[in-house]
Amino acid sequence: MSIEPTLFVRITSIEKITKQVKKFTMSSETGKGLPKFSGGTHVSTYLKTRSGLIVRQYSLVSHPDDSTKYEIAVRLSEDSKGGSFYWHQEMKVGDRLQISSPRNHFYLSFKAKHHVFYAAGIGITPFLSMMQDLSAKGQTFELHYASKSEDSCAFHPYIKKHYPIQSHFYFSDQQQRLQITSLENHPIGTHVYFCGPEGFIEQFRIAAGKLGYPESSVHYERFLPTQNKAMKAFKVILQNGSELIVEEKQTLLEVLLANGTYIPYSCRVGRCGTCEIPVAEGKIEHFDDFLSEEQKNEQNCILACVSRGCSDKLVLKI
Amino acid sequence: MKWTGDLAHFPYPFKDSTYRYSNNSIPMKQPLSIEVTPSYKKEMLLKRKLLSDHPERCYQSLLHSMTGQWEIVELVIDHLVSKYPQDFSVKKENNSWIFTNKILDEKIEFIFGEKNSLPCEPLFFISQHVQEDLIYMRQRDDNLYLDAGQLCFPANWSLAFNIGMKFKSIHHPIPGFKEEGLDQRILQFLMRLEAGTPWERLNWSLMAGDRLDTSLETFDQWGRLRKQVTSENAGELVHIRVEVQKLFRLPRTNSILFSIHTHLLALEQLATNSEWVQQFYEILSELPAHIIEYKGISNYKKAVLEYLEKQLQQVKTL
Ligand code: HEM
Repeated sequence: MSIEPTLFVRITSIEKITKQVKKFTMSSETGKGLPKFSGGTHVSTYLKTRSGLIVRQYSLVSHPDDSTKYEIAVRLSEDSKGGSFYWHQEMKVGDRLQISSPRNHFYLSFKAKHHVFYAAGIGITPFLSMMQDLSAKGQTFELHYASKSEDSCAFHPYIKKHYPIQSHFYFSDQQQRLQITSLENHPIGTHVYFCGPEGFIEQFRIAAGKLGYPESSVHYERFLPTQNKAMKAFKVILQNGSELIVEEKQTLLEVLLANGTYIPYSCRVGRCGTCEIPVAEGKIEHFDDFLSEEQKNEQNCILACVSRGCSDKLVLKI
Repeated sequence: MKWTGDLAHFPYPFKDSTYRYSNNSIPMKQPLSIEVTPSYKKEMLLKRKLLSDHPERCYQSLLHSMTGQWEIVELVIDHLVSKYPQDFSVKKENNSWIFTNKILDEKIEFIFGEKNSLPCEPLFFISQHVQEDLIYMRQRDDNLYLDAGQLCFPANWSLAFNIGMKFKSIHHPIPGFKEEGLDQRILQFLMRLEAGTPWERLNWSLMAGDRLDTSLETFDQWGRLRKQVTSENAGELVHIRVEVQKLFRLPRTNSILFSIHTHLLALEQLATNSEWVQQFYEILSELPAHIIEYKGISNYKKAVLEYLEKQLQQVKTL
C-alpha cells in the first residue's frame, strides 16, 4: 500500500536530450524549497490521465543540494501506452502534478573503498547524483556506460565534460561491448552498482557473484511496476479451529479484532510490521511495504492490516 | 525544582490493559519534530547548564556527521518557525541565516553549511533551543549507527557509551528483544522509513523522584530514591516518565533523526483520572518480571500497587 503523495510541483521546462529521452524540470508549487536528497534517490510521480492514475518512479538527475528544482529524464519506450508516453506526448510546461518525497533505495555504500557504476541506456539516471555526491566528498569512482550510439547516449556531453577520467563509454553501433569481464579489474573493497534493463542487471549480478564479490558489495536498482490491489473475500482458520471470513471491504486485522482475537498492531498501513502473524498453510498476497522480497516469497507470514489470502483459505498459527 | 504538573501536555501512553514490547510506532498526524511546552524556559536553562558542565556526557559526535547535523538544524528551525511563528523566526539570504528565539531573546547569525560560522557544532547549537534530546542515526550500508547526539535527559542510558554503536547493539540490554527477533523487525522498519512520512512512538517507565537528567553516569545520585518509596509517599515521589519519540528520515544524508521529548507526571496527578488509574493498575499488576526488572521498578512495585489500590477504593466509595 502506498502512502499519499506529498509534494506539489509544476513543470518549468522540458528539454529533448536525445531522440528518445526528454528531461523535465520541476519546481515547488508552494514556493518553499524542495527537500535536498542523497545520491541514487528517486521520486514516484503520480499522473492523473484519462485512463486513471499512473504511478511511475524516476531517479532525480539534478544536483542533490539544489532545492530550487528537481529534474528527471524519461525515455519513451516503444511499447508504452502509459507513463513514458504520457510524459512525452501530453506533459507541457506549466502543468502541475504530485510527486512523492525523495526516496533512496539505491544508496552509496559508506564503507566502499572505490565505487564502480555499470549503466545500460536510461539506467544511467541514478548514477548522475551518486557521482555528484562522490566528487563532492573526494571519493574515487568509475562509470561504465553502454548505449546503442553516441547520439542516443543520454547525458553523454555532460558526463564527458565533468568526469573525463572516470567515464568509459561503449557504443554498440561502433562494435564496442561492455563485457562482464570488466568486473575482474577492480581492487578489493570495490562496490559495484548496476542499473539498466532486467537482463543486463541479471547478467552482471550473476557474474559478480561468481567472481566472489560479497553480496553486500553488489548493488542494483530495478523499478518494479506497482501492483493493483484486487480485493477479494477470503477465509482464515485459527488454531482453536474457528473459521473467519474476511469480506472484500474488510481487513484481516479488523476481522480478528472484531472476533475478540487480540493481536498487537500499530500503523494499519503495512509499514511498521507489528501485526505480523505466522501462517501455516495457504497462499498469501502481500500488499505491505515492510517484508523483504525473500520474506514475502517464503509465504509463511502475513501482515494482517493490509495483506490478504489468495487461496481458498489461510491457516494461521494464532 | 518541580518538573511536573503539566497534565494538559501529558502524553498518556497506554491503549490496552496489558503492555508488551512491540513496535508501537504510528505515522505522525502533525509532522513536527519538536514541541514547546510551558516548561520551555526552565528546561532550556537546565539543559544549557548540563551541556556546559558535562559536555562529554551530554554531547557526542563523529566527524562524518557534519552534513547530517546541518540537515537537523534546517529541519528543526523550519519546524519551530512554522509551528511557533510568534516565538521563532528565521531569515535566509542564500546561505546567510539569522535565527531569532524570542522566548530567550537571542539572535544567532551563521552561514548555513559553514561549521566555523558557529561557536559550536551545528547539532549542539540547535539543541540549545529545543526541549527534545536529538539523536542522529546515520545509515551506513545496511545498518543504522548512532553517529551524533545531544542527550541531557536520558532514561538511564549513556550517550558516551553508545556513540558509534549500531541499532541492535544499542538495544542489546533490553530483555527478550533479540530472542523475539524484535530488534531485527524494528531495524527493518527503520530502514524503510521515508522522508515526508515521519513516525512517533511513546515509551514509558516509572521513576522514584522527578529528575529529568537520569543518566547512567549519575545513577548513584538518583537511583537510591527507589529504596525510599512507600505506599504512603508513592503518589508524590513516584513519577511516570513518558518519552515522545519521533523518527524523521533526513533525505540529504539518507539517515534518521530520532528526537526524544521527556514528560514527567507524579502518580498523584495521574490519579486525578480514574480511568487512567484503573488501566495503569491492571498493566502494572500483569507486567512480566523481566520488563519490571529492566525498567528498574522491582524495588517499589509493591508500594506503587498498594497506592493505586487505595486510589481505586476511594473512587469506588465516592
Ligand atoms: C532509531 C532510534 C532509536 C534509538 C537511538 C534508540 C535508543 C534506545 C536506547 C539508548 C535505549 C535504552 C537501552 C539501554 O538500556 O541501554 C532504548 C530502549 C528501548 N527502545 Fe529504542 N531507540 C531507537 C528506536 C526505537 C524504536 C523505533 C523502537 C520501537 C519499538 C524502540 C524500542 C525500544 C524499547 C521498547 C526500549 C526499552 C524501553 C523500556 O522498557 O523502558 N527503540 N532505545
